[in-house]
Amino acid sequence: DEVDMQQQAENIRTVFNDPQNFNVKHPLFSAWTLWFDSPATKGRNMPQTPMTAFPQTPLAQTPGGIASAAQGWMEDIKRVISFDSVEEFWGLYNNIVPPSNLPQRANYYLFKEGIIPAWEDDANKNGGKWSIQLPKDKNRANVDKMWLYTMLAAIGETFDPILANATPENEEDAPQSMITGVIVSTRPQFYRLSIWTRTAPQSTGTDDDNELRERVEAIGRHFKVNVLGYAGNAKLQAPLATEVEFLSHKDSDKKGKNAKKIVV
Amino acid sequence: SGAKPTNLVVARPSQLANARHIDDFSVVNYPDGVSSPVAENAPAAHKPRHYSRDFLMQFMGICKEKPDNLPPLDVLGLQPDQSQIARGGSGRRQASVSGNMG
Repeated sequence: DEVDMQQQAENIRTVFNDPQNFNVKHPLFSAWTLWFDSPATKGRNMPQTPMTAFPQTPLAQTPGGIASAAQGWMEDIKRVISFDSVEEFWGLYNNIVPPSNLPQRANYYLFKEGIIPAWEDDANKNGGKWSIQLPKDKNRANVDKMWLYTMLAAIGETFDPILANATPENEEDAPQSMITGVIVSTRPQFYRLSIWTRTAPQSTGTDDDNELRERVEAIGRHFKVNVLGYAGNAKLQAPLATEVEFLSHKDSDKKGKNAKKIVV
Repeated sequence: SGAKPTNLVVARPSQLANARHIDDFSVVNYPDGVSSPVAENAPAAHKPRHYSRDFLMQFMGICKEKPDNLPPLDVLGLQPDQSQIARGGSGRRQASVSGNMG
């Protein structure tokens, strides 16, 4: 009843009520893992001291094992941390290097816990990615905000309109999120931001495929307009820059002409 | 290997680690000026399905505490670009753009 509710509320202290002595945190819909690699992580074996006694290799997480190609790929990618609350996300964010300060050829991979940032993972193998490439000199001051907003849309589950607009009565009725992870990459001349999806349209022309394509395009438009802050009709292609474009992982393998890109 | 390090200082778990997950948002009282995630998720009452950027950004300046399970970044090979630091000040300026400092 009302008295109980009031007592309960008084015992619940968020960081807004008490930044030092809060006793609750805001759960995320999924747990997430941040991974990192750069030339400096290659071949680095992390010592198993108590300070660093955290899981290093993800391979045991994937039942049935993954292709050896992915094992090689994952060897130099270091797990930084896993978290499942808003408060922990910001604790991480406020204590880590922003993309503009990363060395060249570095990558952050923020993926749902249990999904490794490799095509070979079951959650990724039928998917694809939205990505944009931005020239470094013009975007050094923007990239940190773009990456932050990309991460917030991922952990807040606002990328996928079907999920964002869903109001299920209970957890079991909630649709599965299309997003498996987001990536920022630093290269000598440019930055790249990517969003990986669980599935990718095949251009088969079936109703299901058209529906999927609409859903994937909505994610791309949300990325371009709401996350990156561009006008919906803006043309972005320029030297070292690309449009916001989607490519399935299978088509990325082909490169060249056969790859069917979607551009928003 | 069963060898155990000696002279361990065992830190207490932080407030961040100890806090429990909210399981019923309807009984949380947010201070004036702080938006509740329930309002933006109506009519889904108890457990929000998503958090907007505006909601999440409210935590940015408050949650500064380093999570207990964040390993030392130099052990991971994750360090600021030395050439940017050498150029002087650019690292600091960039960090403040992202709201990362202070």
